[in-house]
Amino acid sequence: MKSESVQVEGYTTLPLQLPTTPLFPYPATHYLYLRPHEPRIPDPDSTRSLFLVNVPIDTTEAHLRHLFGTQLAAGRVERVQFEDVQTKKRAAATTTETNLTHSKKKRKRVTADDYERYLDDINLPSIWDRKLQKSGAHAVVIFADKPSMETSLKAASKASKRGTTIIWGDGLPTDRIPALGLNRYVAHERMQYPDRGALLRTVNEFMTTFTQVSEARKREDHKRLAVPDEDGFVTVSHGPKLNSVAREEEMRELVEKQKKKAEGLEDFYRFQSREKRKERQNQLLRRFDEDKKKLAEIKARKGKIRVSFSLSLVRLVFGSGADFLYSLNDLVHDSMAFWVSFFAGRIKGSRWCPMYM
Amino acid sequence: MSDHTSKRRKLSPSPENAAISSSTKQTSNVTEKRNPTRGKDERSAELAMASGFYKSSFFKLQMDELLEGLRPNYSKQVSKVQETLHQIKTAIEGLPETSPQSVPDAEKELRASGLVVPWPEPRPSKDVKYSMAYAKPANINVVGSFALKTGARTLESRPIDLAITMPSSLFQEKDYVNFRYFHKRAYYIACVAAGIQDTANTLGFDIKFGPQDGDSLRPHILLEPRQAESSGPTIRILTAIDPMLFPVTRTLPLKSNIRQASNNSEIGEPTSYYNASLRSDATVSLYHKSIYSASKKCSSFSDACILGRTWLQQRGFHTPFQNGGFGGFEWTVLLSLLFEGGGPAGQPVLLPSYSCYQIFKATIQFLAGRDLTTPLFFGQEVPVPSGVPVVFDGRRGLNILYKMTPWSYATLRHEAAVTLKMLNESREDNFDKVFILKVDEPALRFDRLISFPKSFNGDTLRALHEQNALYNVLSRALGDRVKLVSIVSRAVDSWSVKSKQPKRSSQGVSVGLLLNAENVGRIVDHGPAAEEKEESASFQAFWGEKSELRRFKDGSILESLVWSDESDTSIIYQILEYILQRHFKITTDEFAFVGDEYDELLKKHGDDILAYSSPAFQSIDDAFKDLERSIRSMDEVPLEVRHLAPASSLLRYTSLRPTGATDVVLQFESSSRWPDDFAAIQMTKVAFLLKIGDSLKSSGAASSCRVGLENESSKVINNAYLEIPHSSGVLFRLRIHHEREQTLLERNLKDRNLSPREREEAAYALFAYKKTFVQTPRLTQALRSLCTRFPLLSPTIRLTKQWFNSHLFTAQISDELIELLVIRTFTQPNPWECPSSVMTGFLRTLHSLSRWDWQQEPFIVDLGGDLTPQVTENIRTRFTAWRSIDPAMNSLAFFVASDIDTEGVTWTQYEMPSKVVAARTSSLAKAAVSLLRSKTHDMDVSELFDTSLAPYDFVIHLRPKLFSGSSAPKFKNLAEPRAGMMQTIKSFVCDVQACYSQSILLFHGDDRCAVITGLWNPQTLKSRPWNLKTAYSTAPGDTNGEVVINQTAILNEIARLGNGLIENIEVRAEE
Repeated sequence: MKSESVQVEGYTTLPLQLPTTPLFPYPATHYLYLRPHEPRIPDPDSTRSLFLVNVPIDTTEAHLRHLFGTQLAAGRVERVQFEDVQTKKRAAATTTETNLTHSKKKRKRVTADDYERYLDDINLPSIWDRKLQKSGAHAVVIFADKPSMETSLKAASKASKRGTTIIWGDGLPTDRIPALGLNRYVAHERMQYPDRGALLRTVNEFMTTFTQVSEARKREDHKRLAVPDEDGFVTVSHGPKLNSVAREEEMRELVEKQKKKAEGLEDFYRFQSREKRKERQNQLLRRFDEDKKKLAEIKARKGKIRVSFSLSLVRLVFGSGADFLYSLNDLVHDSMAFWVSFFAGRIKGSRWCPMYM
Repeated sequence: MSDHTSKRRKLSPSPENAAISSSTKQTSNVTEKRNPTRGKDERSAELAMASGFYKSSFFKLQMDELLEGLRPNYSKQVSKVQETLHQIKTAIEGLPETSPQSVPDAEKELRASGLVVPWPEPRPSKDVKYSMAYAKPANINVVGSFALKTGARTLESRPIDLAITMPSSLFQEKDYVNFRYFHKRAYYIACVAAGIQDTANTLGFDIKFGPQDGDSLRPHILLEPRQAESSGPTIRILTAIDPMLFPVTRTLPLKSNIRQASNNSEIGEPTSYYNASLRSDATVSLYHKSIYSASKKCSSFSDACILGRTWLQQRGFHTPFQNGGFGGFEWTVLLSLLFEGGGPAGQPVLLPSYSCYQIFKATIQFLAGRDLTTPLFFGQEVPVPSGVPVVFDGRRGLNILYKMTPWSYATLRHEAAVTLKMLNESREDNFDKVFILKVDEPALRFDRLISFPKSFNGDTLRALHEQNALYNVLSRALGDRVKLVSIVSRAVDSWSVKSKQPKRSSQGVSVGLLLNAENVGRIVDHGPAAEEKEESASFQAFWGEKSELRRFKDGSILESLVWSDESDTSIIYQILEYILQRHFKITTDEFAFVGDEYDELLKKHGDDILAYSSPAFQSIDDAFKDLERSIRSMDEVPLEVRHLAPASSLLRYTSLRPTGATDVVLQFESSSRWPDDFAAIQMTKVAFLLKIGDSLKSSGAASSCRVGLENESSKVINNAYLEIPHSSGVLFRLRIHHEREQTLLERNLKDRNLSPREREEAAYALFAYKKTFVQTPRLTQALRSLCTRFPLLSPTIRLTKQWFNSHLFTAQISDELIELLVIRTFTQPNPWECPSSVMTGFLRTLHSLSRWDWQQEPFIVDLGGDLTPQVTENIRTRFTAWRSIDPAMNSLAFFVASDIDTEGVTWTQYEMPSKVVAARTSSLAKAAVSLLRSKTHDMDVSELFDTSLAPYDFVIHLRPKLFSGSSAPKFKNLAEPRAGMMQTIKSFVCDVQACYSQSILLFHGDDRCAVITGLWNPQTLKSRPWNLKTAYSTAPGDTNGEVVINQTAILNEIARLGNGLIENIEVRAEE
C-alpha cells in the first residue's frame, strides 16, 4: 500500500494492524515511527536505544518487548522509557536502589541523599492496573545491546517494505497484561480504595524514612557547621530550625501588624487630609478620563450606542457585526464556522447581530 | 478664540482620543472645529460630576452617545418631505364641498370612488336624523413630535402627523352624544381619503385607514410609502376640532354621553373613555402649543422626551390603550404639565434648568412615588372615576391618562419603581438596563402567561369593557397569589380604504402574572365568615359551587376554597380553569397557559424534587449535622478540629438529583508539627484519614470507612480522601484541608530553580487547592443562605443544570459555574425584579448568558452582598490582566468572579470550558432566546432541551444495559448494583479526553445520557509536515514527508478502551 513511504523525515514507518473490535468493525492500521535514539546529551544507554514516535495509547512495556522480541523476532528489550515518566529521577533511582539496600546492611552511615532517593520510591498504591499513553506520544526502547537495536530497526524496515502484517499485541499472553475496557475501570474503582493495612504500611515506611532523612540532614548540617571555614570561623546556630514555612507565616503576620499600627495616625495632621482630598479629586478626574476611554473602546467594538430599529430587538449594536465573533478563531479548535452553520437554521435570518434584546 | 481655549488645546489628551471623537462626526477640518466643543464637553462633565447632574460620568457619556444617535435630523427630513406635505395639503384644500345628505346617500357616493366609510362601532343606522357633509377644513397643520422635535430617531413608527381641523359648521350642538360626532368625523375622513387618493398614488403612497392611537372610534388616514426601502416616513392624517366646539363640561370623565343601550354598558353609566376620546380631538392644537412653549422654555426638554420615549418603548408602553395607554405623547404632555405643578403643595416637579437626565429621573420618581389613582388636578377639580390614574388637565378638560387601565398603571408604576432603584444604585451604572435592554419580553417579565387567542379583542369600547371584566375576575380570583396582573393586546391593524373596518384585532389578548412566591402554593383560601352575610353572598356569587363553608381549628366558620396539591396541574391553573369557565364560559381549549411546564420538567428530570426544603435535601443536611457532631467528638485524633465545611452541591441544594458522594472538608487547628514536604503532607493526611475512619467506626457513626486515592499523577495535589457511608445512607467524602500547602505551593511557583514543568504543576496544584479547599466551601456556605433567601434559586439552578446536561456540556462546564450564572439572575435582577418562578429565573439566566460578551466582559456575581465598586474595579483589573496574558483565551474563556472570589478563574480555568465550547454555550443561549421570542405563547419547553447530534463528527453510543437500572434506587442504604456507573463513564471520558486532548473534543451529558459525542479538531484534519510534537496518532500522507491524522486508528483505540461500555461508534459521513 504505502510501501514507498517507508521513511518519513529519517524515521522508519512501521504499520501495525490494530486488533479488530466489533464495536468499531473497520480495519485500522496504526503507524509507528522509529529511529536510533540520538538525544542532545547522549547517555551510555542511547547507543543501544530506539526512539519511537506515535506509540498506541494502550502501549505497555510488554507490548514492545513482544513486538521486537517475538513479532519482529529481532532484539531483546531491556526496558522502556515512556514519555510521561521523568527519566532522570527514574534512572537515578534504579542506580541507587541496590546501593541503598546494600549499604543499609553494611554501613551505618547513609547520606541524607541516599535516604531521599529511597523516599522517592515509596508511593501510595497505584489506582490503575494499566496506564495509558497519550496519542502520538514517544518512547525510548533500550535494548540489551547495540546489535539488538540495529537488527530490530532493520527488521522493522523490512517488515514495512514487504508489507508484513503485524497485529498489535497479537499473541501476547492475556494474563500478562490487564485488559482494557470495563474491566479496567472496575479494577480502578477497586484499586482506588486500597487495603487499610497496605496503606498503613506505606505511610509508616514513608514517615520513618522521612524522619531519617531529616535527621541525617540535620546531622550533616551540624557537622558542616562545626568545621571551621577558610577564615577559621565556626558558625554558631541556635536550637532546632523551625520549618521555614511557619516562619514565613509568622513574618507575614508581623508585617501586617506593623502596617496596621502605621495606619492609626492617618488624619492626624491637617496636610494629610488636604492631600487626601486632592488625591480624591485627581482620582475623579482620572476616572472620568478612563470612562471616556472605556466608551471609546466600546464604540470601537460595538459601534455606536443606540437602540435598535426593529420592533422587538434592541441592544448595543455591533459595529463590525458578525465577523467579530468569527475572527478570533485563529488557534486550536477552530470550529466556529461549523457552529454558525449549525445554528443558522435555528437563528434563521437574524444570525448574530439582532439576536439581542 | 480666547487664551483659554488655546490652553485647553494643549491640555487636551492624546491624538487617539481626537481620532475617536472625529469619527463621530465627519467634519473635514476636525481639529479646528472640534476642540472648542470638546473643551465645553469636558467642562460640563466636570461640572456635572461636581453637582450631581448625572448618575455618573460614564452614565452621562453613554447617554450623550445615545441621544446623539436618537436625535432625528429634522432639517434633512423637513427638506425631504416638505414638498410632499405641500402637495397633500393643496389636494385637501382643493376638495369640493358636499351638501348635507343622508347616511345611505353618503355611503353610496363614496362607494362610487371605491371607498368604504370607516364607521366606528356601532355604525349609524340608515334612518338617523342627522346628515353627513363635507366642507373645507378650517386649518391644516403639521403637529406632533415631528413638528415639535420631540421624537426619537429609532423608534419603530415615527410618522408625521398632519392635523385637519374640521370646520365647526358641520356639527350641531348635541353632536357629542351617541357617536354622532364620531360618525360625522368618519365620513369626513372618508371624504378626505377619497379626495387625495390620486395624489397619494402619484406621490408613491399606499392609502389606508387605521385606528388613531388604537382607538377604533377615531379612524385616521395612513399614507405609507409603497416601497419599504424608500425610507420616507409614514404620514398620518388626523382630525381636530375647535376647542370650543363642545363645552368642556359635557365631556368631563363622569358624564354619560351614550344614551342608547348597547351590550357594553347601561344607559346613564359614565362614558369616560368616549368623552376623553372626543375631547382629545378638541385639544390637538392646545397641546401642540403647550408642548411647544415647554420645549422653548427648557433646553433639555426634547432630549428628556427622547429618553422617556426610549424608556417606555423598551417596556412595551405605547399610546394605544391596548399597549398601556402611555406613550411618547403622554410622556411629553406629562412633562409639560410637571413644569407647572404636580409636586407637594402644587410646586412644580420639574424646573427648566434641569438637565435631561434630571428631568427623566424626576419624572420616573414622580411616576413611582405619586399614586395617581388619587387624582392629580391641574386647574379646577372635577369629579373623576376611582381606581384609575387621573392627571386632569383642567384648562383643556382632559385626563391625560384616560387611556390607562388599572393594570397598565400598576405595570407602569412597577417599572418606574424598578428603574428608580436602578438609577439610585451606586454599584453599577445600569445604563444598559434602563435604556438599551428590551424588557417587555413576556416570558422574561412575567411568571405565568395566559393567552386568549379569540376573546376580549373587539373594538375599543368593547375590548376595554371586556378586559376590565377579565381583570376584575382574575385579580379577585388570584388575590394575593399574584403581585401583578397585566393585560396586553393589539389594536386592530390598519386596513385598506376599500374594505370595512375589521371587527376584531387579528391578535388575541395575553395576560402576564407576577406571582407572589410565598402564597402561590396555598391550598386553602379563607373567605369571609359565615356571619358576614353580605360578603358571604358576594363570595358565593363569585365562586359558585367551589365555595364551601368550613370550620377551622380556631373555631371560626369561614367560606373557603380548597385546591388540590396532588393534582397534575398547578393551583394557579386550577383556579383559572374554574373561574374562566364560570365567568366567561372559556374552556381550557380556548386559552393557553405558559409557565408550569418548567416546574414539570424539573420534576421529571430531578427526581420529583422542586424545593430546596424537600425531604431529600433535608436528610442530607441532617446527616451532615450528625457527621459534624461525630467528628467533633473524636478523641483519638491528636489535633483539634477547627471546622468541618460542607463542600458539595448536595449540601447547597443545587444538585439536580440528590445522589452521589457528598464532599466535605475538614480543617484542623493549625499545628507546627506538619512536615514541609509535599509527599510527606499527603502521607500525613492518609494517616489522619485512617485514624478518623477508625474513630468514626468505633463511635458507631459509620459502619465502615475507607480511604480512597485520587490524583495519582501528582504529589502536590490532594491524594486521598475518606469515604464515610453515613448510617442514613448518605455517602460522604472527607478531605483534609491543610492551609500550609498554599504557602508551599506559592513558594514553589516563585522558585526559579524548579523546571517550568514543575512550576506549571505547582500552579495547577494551587488552582486545585483553592478550588477544593477554599472556594467550594465558601460557595457552598454562600449558596446555603441564598437558597433560603430566594426559595426559587435552588430549582432554577437545577433546571439550568439540566439544560447544560441536555446539551452535553457536563464534561466541559462545571456545576459551580452554572450556579454562579443563575445566582446573578437573583441577586442582580435588574432590569426586572427578583424572579418569582422557575420559568423567569431560567429564561433570564439564558438571556443574560446570551447577552454576555464573554470575550470582552467579566461576569460579576454578587454572592455575599459585598460587591462594592472597589471590588468590581478590582475584578475588572484582574480580567484585563488575564486577557492580556492569554489573549487567545487558550486557558481561560469565561471569567466569572464574585465578591467572595475576586480571582474569577476558579471554575473556568484550564479550559472549563474551552473557547469553542464557550462560544457554543453562548450561541445555544442565543438560539434559545430567539426561539422564545418567536413563539412566546406556543413554545414547547422541551424544544429548549433538545439537542441535535447532527453537528458532531462521531457519536459513541453507550450500552443501553448500563442504563436499565439507572432510575433512582428506592432505598438509599441498599447499594446500587452499579453505583459507580456515572463515575465509570466519567473516567472513560476523562481518559479519552486526556489521550486525545489535541485532536478530539468530547461532549457528554449526565448519568442518563446514553451518548458521548465527539468532534475532530478541524486544525488536525489537514495533512501537515511530520513533526515530533504532533500530539495525535498519524499516518503517512500522500505527499512525501507529510502525515495525516489517523482517525480510524484513533476510533479503534477508543473502542477498545471502552470495551464493555460502548455499544458502537457511529461515524458521521462528511457532507
